[in-house]
Amino acid sequence: MSILQKVPFTILSILVILSCTENPSTNDEALKTAPWTEIAQKAEGSTVNFMMWQGSPAINEYINNYVVPSVKEKYNISLKISGGQGPEIVQLVMGEKQANIQSGQVDMVWINGETFFQLRKLNGLWGPFVGQLPNAKHIDMNDPFINTDFQQPVKGMEAPWSINQFAIVYDSARVQNPPKNLQQLTEYLERYPGTFTISNDFTGMTLLKSFMAELGGSPNSLDGPFDEEKYNGLSQKLWAYVNGHKKYFWKEGRTFPKEQSKMGQLYANGELLLVYGFSEGGIEEKVLNGLYPRSTRGYAWKNGTIKNSNYLGVLYNAPQKAGAMQVIDFLLSPEAQLRKANVNGMNSNTVLNIESLSADWQEKFKTVAKRQYGPEMKQLEKNAIAEPAPEYMIRLYEDFRKQVIEK
Amino acid sequence: MKNKSPNFGIILFIAIGVVPFAAAFIYALLYSFGVIGVANKGFTTEFWTSVVASGEFFRSFLYSLLIALVAVSISVGGALWSTLKFRKRLEQKFLSFVIYLPLAVPGIVTGFFTFQLFSKGGFFARLSYQLGWITEASQFPDLVNDALAFGIVLSFITMIMPFFVLLFLNVYKNERIEALSVLAQSLGANAKQVTQRIILPILIKKTWVLIVLYFIFLLGAYEVPLILGQESPQMLSVLIIREIKQYDLDKISEGYVFAVMYTLIVSAAAIVLFLPKKRRTYET
Repeated sequence: MSILQKVPFTILSILVILSCTENPSTNDEALKTAPWTEIAQKAEGSTVNFMMWQGSPAINEYINNYVVPSVKEKYNISLKISGGQGPEIVQLVMGEKQANIQSGQVDMVWINGETFFQLRKLNGLWGPFVGQLPNAKHIDMNDPFINTDFQQPVKGMEAPWSINQFAIVYDSARVQNPPKNLQQLTEYLERYPGTFTISNDFTGMTLLKSFMAELGGSPNSLDGPFDEEKYNGLSQKLWAYVNGHKKYFWKEGRTFPKEQSKMGQLYANGELLLVYGFSEGGIEEKVLNGLYPRSTRGYAWKNGTIKNSNYLGVLYNAPQKAGAMQVIDFLLSPEAQLRKANVNGMNSNTVLNIESLSADWQEKFKTVAKRQYGPEMKQLEKNAIAEPAPEYMIRLYEDFRKQVIEK
Repeated sequence: MKNKSPNFGIILFIAIGVVPFAAAFIYALLYSFGVIGVANKGFTTEFWTSVVASGEFFRSFLYSLLIALVAVSISVGGALWSTLKFRKRLEQKFLSFVIYLPLAVPGIVTGFFTFQLFSKGGFFARLSYQLGWITEASQFPDLVNDALAFGIVLSFITMIMPFFVLLFLNVYKNERIEALSVLAQSLGANAKQVTQRIILPILIKKTWVLIVLYFIFLLGAYEVPLILGQESPQMLSVLIIREIKQYDLDKISEGYVFAVMYTLIVSAAAIVLFLPKKRRTYET
């Protein structure tokens, strides 16, 4: 065999070897009904890969300095963190499905409703598994903001990790009466031109959903399955409003920030005076870090802003499903949830039903320090609305580009 | 044994340079027709029809083309001028070291620097405010994420102009342009004639392949336009990644259509530009 013949053969052999993967565990299905002691036993000593958004120092501190050592100490689990959020997780699952990889790189993921919808569409999640977790008994599964994600029943396919509400954020030192409805937003824009914009991402589209619900006449106007006729009617009004006012937007509406983090920078710079975001606006951490001015405050839109949960899921080809379940159960424990509520740390609302906990834990949760700058979720809850069906988001993304950005 | 090494070199080149590219292209092509892709349902031309009908690719291509053209023209022009004007000084130890520095800075860092310097809340805006030239951030001119792509062009120039200066300095030395210029002058040519007939033609002729390659490189740049570009139109790579990562999984194939179209155009241009020239060189 000449070298010309040998080399392609070697390359082909390497490619074949690389494309082969480990066999999937045959016991995965049994985990859905196995007693917890068996799952815990199986989880011990495993290495679990967790893909999550790593864009916040407070979240990274919580995970790296608290969760990772805790699961090692308690369950001898080595938790490895890799960076990636919605699109990266979806791309990973699509790639692995395409390549028919039975034993994936990642075991568990941190997702929101947008990614849940995509992963469900791809059959990328494994479950149901939430019912198996001992700490799940402390979660109120009858809460519609927990058991339904983007109008889709969760059905144990993802475990709620935090619950939060979308809030409008403003600088109280520079804006006296921030707008609470579209009519007031018009007045605001005329008074403070160039200080408001819509980010072309999940956050911006969520704001547009709130606007659309207001145009629909009630907080519940977008509830239920996707309604094409309703969407067409309301979106027409929405684009007319946005295009009619965009001359008062940041950069006169000629361009829009790609994502919320950029909008945050513009707010920190003082270019924008009115922004918005999930986790009740994400104010506390940014003020404490010195990014946002101390005069920053948050509130809900009068017709309501979206309230939702974010979740932890196990991927369909996770090699360590038992290990992932054990880690998720730990993350839902009162201990981990209390730590996560620390106002100087991750500062997120617990998904646990406090009343179901022992008196000891109830006391601890009730005495958690309050936020100094951002609003508490309880203050906004009366103006909470549910996430509409995912198709609204798909259409808003597409039409915001066609009807606003490209016009 | 003697004739095995060249063969091995070719095979290695094919294995490392051609096979992965060809495999990726075939993958993208199949994806664009819906043949592969977990969200796809089989062969269809709907993604191609939709992309061609929307016209977004052509707008984006034209936009990228103009930005790359302006950036390369200014960089090459600036580098030629610097070489001619400051050649002696640029050959000094300190300056020749300093000029290497921008080449070590990655594109993404250059993009961030430009943003930090030229945004409405950036260094120059703050300086203008302190000097009393502006009273509000919004009064500072639009220099990043702007319609004229000022920030992108500036970053590109910062990234590639030092390279061309170094290239022209080397060509100047290696092609003995100095000696040729002296010869031309002794034959009666004036300074303008020496520059126009001797120096510039030699420098351009010897480097045009690299100039074209840099133009193609800028056409497909990603990080800088991602940080400094606007939302519409977007430069090609940003547009392709946006489409491939989009929320609507049913339309991801459109991103691959963009990628295939871009690859075909650039490959065709490269073949047209480089092949005939090569033949002519052999002929002479």
